[in-house]
Amino acid sequence: MRAATSNAGDGVIGAKDRPSNLTGASDPEVAQWAQHGHEPAFRELVRRYERPVFSLLYRMVRDRALAEDLAQETFIKVLNGIKSYNPQFKFSSWIFKIANNAAIDHLRKRDLDTLSLDGSPHATTPEEMSATALQLGDRGESPLQEVEARELGSAIERAIAKLRPEYRACILLRHVEGHSYEEIARILDLPLGTVKTYIHRGRNELRVYLEDRKA
Amino acid sequence: MTEPLLQHLTPDELELWAQGLLPAARDIHLAQCAECRALGERERKLFRELARLPRFAPEFGFVERVMGRVRIPSPSNEFENR
Repeated sequence: MRAATSNAGDGVIGAKDRPSNLTGASDPEVAQWAQHGHEPAFRELVRRYERPVFSLLYRMVRDRALAEDLAQETFIKVLNGIKSYNPQFKFSSWIFKIANNAAIDHLRKRDLDTLSLDGSPHATTPEEMSATALQLGDRGESPLQEVEARELGSAIERAIAKLRPEYRACILLRHVEGHSYEEIARILDLPLGTVKTYIHRGRNELRVYLEDRKA
Repeated sequence: MTEPLLQHLTPDELELWAQGLLPAARDIHLAQCAECRALGERERKLFRELARLPRFAPEFGFVERVMGRVRIPSPSNEFENR
């Protein structure tokens, strides 16, 4: 395909440069086409990031329908604000920053982070844990709840759910999405040292949860 | 024995080792230190589990639902004439 910046090599694109296929273009190239109102470029950005963004949000809020709402909100915010995207920065960092903010805002409002399949992490007795646990198997699961239980029911998913949202976001961005520490610091607006601390603590907690399960 | 050989690996170095990126000089310590090897193996196992996590897909028709709410800017005359 033609590069989005093919016009005389000056970085300025025009209608004659419109690509017929965006699959091989880089994110900044596709974003530049979107900035010029090329509708397929918008679709391409959604296609590239729907799974990574939805997966991050789903693991943050552990509710499929809610994660989809937040993912839609994220894409609409990003695409309606595409003119403000600066191609000097990674598009993925920009979209994950908006997605993570949406998740954290929601968790703060709803305090969903205190609820997991095993009950509140603040529960100190088995009775409290039982009272605060999500009883997916006991109340006649909807098809969606069955899907959620299947998708997020493994030991590692349950361990991730027990992490503080800040640790969870860092771990997912580092180990699932493969971002560097520096990129995560930019995405989460945190000092680099804080990101390192969160990731090390998050990994230690994951190991403890996974080892407790085996004991 | 020089001092670096005696120093246990830091958390950053354990991560590098689990990714196969630890400098050879520090690798020598691992060969001699059962404690660091055990920690490194635990780290590597966790990394593998995390790396195997699947990416989930939203419900069918997600792209259309998003596109239905996006305002596509009109190309400028300058753009059309280039």
